[in-house]
Amino acid sequence: MLILNAVINGLLFGGVLALMAFGMNLMFGVVQIVHLAYGQFIMVGLYLVYLLTVLYHVPLLLSCVLAIIAIALLSVLCYYSVVKPLLKAPPINQLLALAGLWIVLENACLAFFGATYKGVQVVLPVLHVGEIYIAASNLIGFGVGLITLGLLYLFLNKTYTGVAIRAVAQDTEVSGVMGINSRTIYLITFVVGGALAGVTAACFVPVYAVHPHFGSAFTLLAFIIVILGGMGNLIGGFIGAFIIGVVTSIGSTLLNPEIGQIIALLICLLIIILRPQGLLGVRART
Amino acid sequence: MLRIENLCSGYGGFEVLQNISLEMGAGETVAVLGPNGAGKSTLLKVISGLLKPTSGKIYFEGRRIDGKPSHEIVEMGISLVPEGGRLFPELTVYNNLLVGAYNKRTRRHFKETLEEVFSLFPIIKERQNQIAGLMSGGERQMVAIARALMSRPKLLMLDEPSSGLAPKIVASIFEFVKEIKERGYSVLMVEQTVKKAVGLADRVYLLESGRMVFSGDQTSFLNNPKIKSSYLGI
Amino acid sequence: MKFMENFKKGTPLLILALLMICPFVFSSPYLLHIFILIFIWSYVTTVWSYMGRFGIISLGHGAFFGIGVYTTALLFNLYNVSPWLGMLAGGLAAATIAVILGYSCFKFGVIGHYFAIATLVLAEIITLVIIALRDTLETGGKLGLTVRSLGTSPLFFQFENKLIFYYLTLALLGLALLIWKKIDDSKVQRALKAVGEDEEAALSLGIDVVKYKTTMFAVSAFMTALGGTAYIQFTMFADPTTCTGVGLSLGIVFKAIIGGMFTLWGPTIGSALIVVLEEYTRLALGSAFVSYSQIIYGLLIIILIRFLPGGLYGTFSDLFRQKRKREVQVLLSGRQAADPYK
Repeated sequence: MLILNAVINGLLFGGVLALMAFGMNLMFGVVQIVHLAYGQFIMVGLYLVYLLTVLYHVPLLLSCVLAIIAIALLSVLCYYSVVKPLLKAPPINQLLALAGLWIVLENACLAFFGATYKGVQVVLPVLHVGEIYIAASNLIGFGVGLITLGLLYLFLNKTYTGVAIRAVAQDTEVSGVMGINSRTIYLITFVVGGALAGVTAACFVPVYAVHPHFGSAFTLLAFIIVILGGMGNLIGGFIGAFIIGVVTSIGSTLLNPEIGQIIALLICLLIIILRPQGLLGVRART
Repeated sequence: MLRIENLCSGYGGFEVLQNISLEMGAGETVAVLGPNGAGKSTLLKVISGLLKPTSGKIYFEGRRIDGKPSHEIVEMGISLVPEGGRLFPELTVYNNLLVGAYNKRTRRHFKETLEEVFSLFPIIKERQNQIAGLMSGGERQMVAIARALMSRPKLLMLDEPSSGLAPKIVASIFEFVKEIKERGYSVLMVEQTVKKAVGLADRVYLLESGRMVFSGDQTSFLNNPKIKSSYLGI
Repeated sequence: MKFMENFKKGTPLLILALLMICPFVFSSPYLLHIFILIFIWSYVTTVWSYMGRFGIISLGHGAFFGIGVYTTALLFNLYNVSPWLGMLAGGLAAATIAVILGYSCFKFGVIGHYFAIATLVLAEIITLVIIALRDTLETGGKLGLTVRSLGTSPLFFQFENKLIFYYLTLALLGLALLIWKKIDDSKVQRALKAVGEDEEAALSLGIDVVKYKTTMFAVSAFMTALGGTAYIQFTMFADPTTCTGVGLSLGIVFKAIIGGMFTLWGPTIGSALIVVLEEYTRLALGSAFVSYSQIIYGLLIIILIRFLPGGLYGTFSDLFRQKRKREVQVLLSGRQAADPYK
């Protein structure tokens, strides 16, 4: 029963994880950069919700919306100041510059909010069906996650801009010949990716009290999922999120949470070395 | 319509094109022929803005286009069918066509252009929901041409449309090119298969290791003794 | 001309000699403390740049440092093993992990930023292991651990007199710089440089690329762990945030970038600058404001990567010696051609 409980809550949490990984994956697929500071964006989002709700008494939902907009703007700033100038630079330089941004954001939060846990008190019920207990926060996250991903699916398949984003991800050169300005698409991708980080943060509000070191944990978690599913493979990342959701949920129920994470990271290392296309990746990029 | 003057270009300090000049009028079909590695594809890349020229000028309808980004060049009415088609493999055929009509000038005419293209390639209409990557080589080439037409180009450029295809399919591809030509498009075609291409062309250029070694009309090309021996095998 | 050349050759020795006399000129324990920190981080950063300068960017050196720190401290705390032996054990443990990870990565063509990511994952794993062993091995988890103090005990690498640490860490730095020089003059350098520029060409010349890279990684990891031992014996306190993990790994790389990783003195200058910057903010604004210095330093990194990929010292010395310029450009790019992901 304990395990069943863990599996169900893990699956539900997987909905938010899928959302989180989607943003990082999209940026990798389209712009070809590993967004090392992605988790820090989510962390900043959590802090913004805290700031607005607790310190300025803005209603919770409104502050979530404001935070999403703010993170999307932050993402645009990141694109113009860090990513765009380095688009033609070697990938390692991009990675290190984003690591620099990681340090900046983490310490900015530390300087501004201090090293204590900050959270919004949201009291949500725990539902139970028979002997199964489901945290309502997980249910909300799952719902928001799936709805957002559904909207993204429509966006990427049914709109000019969405299809253009996928075209750039698949063949940047030819998409240029089709009249697509890849720079514009990159910018849109950063707006979408930033907004996704904001939505993820909103889903995390009832789950976590935030701390400046959370950003790196989020980045690594998103990273593990993306690598598991194959970098740039959106469907692989989606499935990977649910796998990681269940594994960490069972891991922290049965063992201690660090051991679950260590196993996940070791698997991640093995995949990087042996199956760069991802455990679930079927296609090889050519 | 298209005028190229003393164009030089290449990759990383290595000059592939040396002093290329070319001219074509509206409605004309021009074939640029030459052996593998002569710089034919490079020439199309430079015209479509994928590669910057090191020197020289390119005019399209009187306006200079060299050095402009490729998305602006499409907007002006030049469309490229890359070698092997290079469809977006994970998109459906329909979405590939949608991307073809991405630029502002043609986006509003998407529906009509689509009907026009479907009338040219009825088979694509049936296949529009298929994933492009799962099609055969000949079908991909066809969709690639259709995709290029979706941008309502004034000049259509084809990069080795016959490469890697079986002779029977090549014949049908050239049938399509002929039909496109008859509908009034200007076509700039780069080819290795000399005979078929020359048959369609109003004028022929011959490129050898980055230099233009011949230019003239169909008959003077076919009657040139040197070309006869080395390219036509007569 | 000859005089200038001799002068140039002698400069490193001159600097070392000056540093040796320094403690007799000033006797402030605080300054001594700062110098020791500078020496330790310069040492680690220099050792990191053995690989970095060839385009092999490791974001996992924090792990090796942490292995040095915790192996030494735990062996001593739990089993009373002398840190001198612990130092060796830590070094060997780090080198072993480097050989396993490095060999598998280089063998399967995981290079460039993918290698960086793999090592980053390693850094996180080691941190989590240390936290997970909080009770089993008394690592203290996130709260950190304190080394049992014996006062002064040379046999157990404990000295109350900071001067000893000053000379010890200075000697370590000297050693690291000497090895840097040796690598610079050796066949290994030419081989690895060939690797940095064109792996296939190196292969066709009969250079065993995997072996050279793995060896270099192992040496670098071993020496980084030694730095960890020196650090823990000096501070007598360790916690996962300052002694291991991704943050520390990035710190090492950033110090090298700021100073310039392609020159002998670049890593040292970068480390000195950062240590002084951190200490200055701590003194001027209070320890709650250390994060401000970190913000400055993160911004500095972004700006440097954007405008001066050769680093501060590297770029300035380039102005005088044009020939290095090309090397810098090529090497920071790592290898892209054989990228398995593209």
